[in-house]
Amino acid sequence: MKMNANDVIEAYVTDVALQLPRKQRNDVAFELRALINEGLQDKAEETGRAVDAAMATEFLNAFGHPETVAARYRPALNIIDPADGQKFWRATSIGLAIIWGLGLLELFQTAPEVGFLNALAKWWMGTVIGSLWWPGVLVAGFGISAWAGRRWPQKTEWKPKANDRIRGGRLGIVMGLIGVMFGLYILAKPTWVLDVVWGGHAAPVAYQALTYTDSFLQLQGPILFALILLYIPFFIAVIVKGRHTPMLRRIETASSLLTCAVMLWAIMDGPIFMTATSDGMTKSIMLLIVVFTLIIMGIEMYRTVKPTPDKPVQIGR
Amino acid sequence: MVNTDTFGKLELELRRGVVVLATLSQLRAPRYGYELRQVLAEKGMPIEEGTLYPLLRRLETQGLLQSEWKLEGGSQRRYYSLNADGRKLLKRLTESWQGMNDAMNELLKED
Repeated sequence: MKMNANDVIEAYVTDVALQLPRKQRNDVAFELRALINEGLQDKAEETGRAVDAAMATEFLNAFGHPETVAARYRPALNIIDPADGQKFWRATSIGLAIIWGLGLLELFQTAPEVGFLNALAKWWMGTVIGSLWWPGVLVAGFGISAWAGRRWPQKTEWKPKANDRIRGGRLGIVMGLIGVMFGLYILAKPTWVLDVVWGGHAAPVAYQALTYTDSFLQLQGPILFALILLYIPFFIAVIVKGRHTPMLRRIETASSLLTCAVMLWAIMDGPIFMTATSDGMTKSIMLLIVVFTLIIMGIEMYRTVKPTPDKPVQIGR
Repeated sequence: MVNTDTFGKLELELRRGVVVLATLSQLRAPRYGYELRQVLAEKGMPIEEGTLYPLLRRLETQGLLQSEWKLEGGSQRRYYSLNADGRKLLKRLTESWQGMNDAMNELLKED
């Protein structure tokens, strides 16, 4: 059925009104229809043509898409604050990249058994489509955070934080210090774990499994021990200073890189423990520590700001 | 050379900033939507219908305008006008605008 101008106007007004709150709907529709009719009559007079469906459609297209116009009737609703937009996209992209990447690893493992196309289809349906929970969780999280920010604005006020502050505070450093001493003890005597868990009655094979090889004891072991030992005066210096001075930061970077290098050397050089199982597990943990440390250092570097002019500074006017 | 697209966007930003003040300024006396749009256009401030009519409702919801339906010339029209709060706000916004206008005139003076 061919629509006339009135039908076009009615369809437009209905499309706008349906998106408005029920209590406002009919009243706005009544006013909008009257205003559109009046505007259209004036347009017809200007152009010297009778109002028809084509003219009404053209007029209403200039008026705006019903959804856009309806949105203007309502107060602006931001689920995610514009200020959080960048953070939201970053968290979404990184999260999805990790989920899809882990899924791809699984795909390559299962592909030889089930066939590449089957594995790909499983990855697409299971991992990619299934990963949509992540942006959903983020929308909910950022939405709650935006709501809380508007509800209690004083809680989200910016508070200055010194760039050289100790992250985690002094308590965090003390915990780190305890961790280092604990780590040193385990490094020196790994069988201590067995004594603690089984009260010294673990099977001899377990003790053998946690026995270092001679090459590790002579080469990487003492260096690693010395490097980790250096963290004790370092942490004490941080606690005393109360902040990470540029010098302390440089020492930390250097010792972290050195520790990572020695750990990689130990991983690649040969067995650390006498048995393959404990050796493999220890090397996996060491590799994870190296990767984690390098990621943290990379993030720190990325977040460093050094105010510098991008062009040579001219002297005088 | 600034392209037309950039100019258009920046000009739109400028206009957005004054749409509310322009609308309030013409509602000291009751006016209905289409009439208000014509008055604004005649005075050099055309505002799209799709922007102006929802704005009137939002200003009313915010407690700045009052409205009533009237039958005039065979048509039923919703007339909007400033209420007491709207008048106070218009006064304050006008002072702000004049201050900014003076400052901008000063800034835009060629040396």
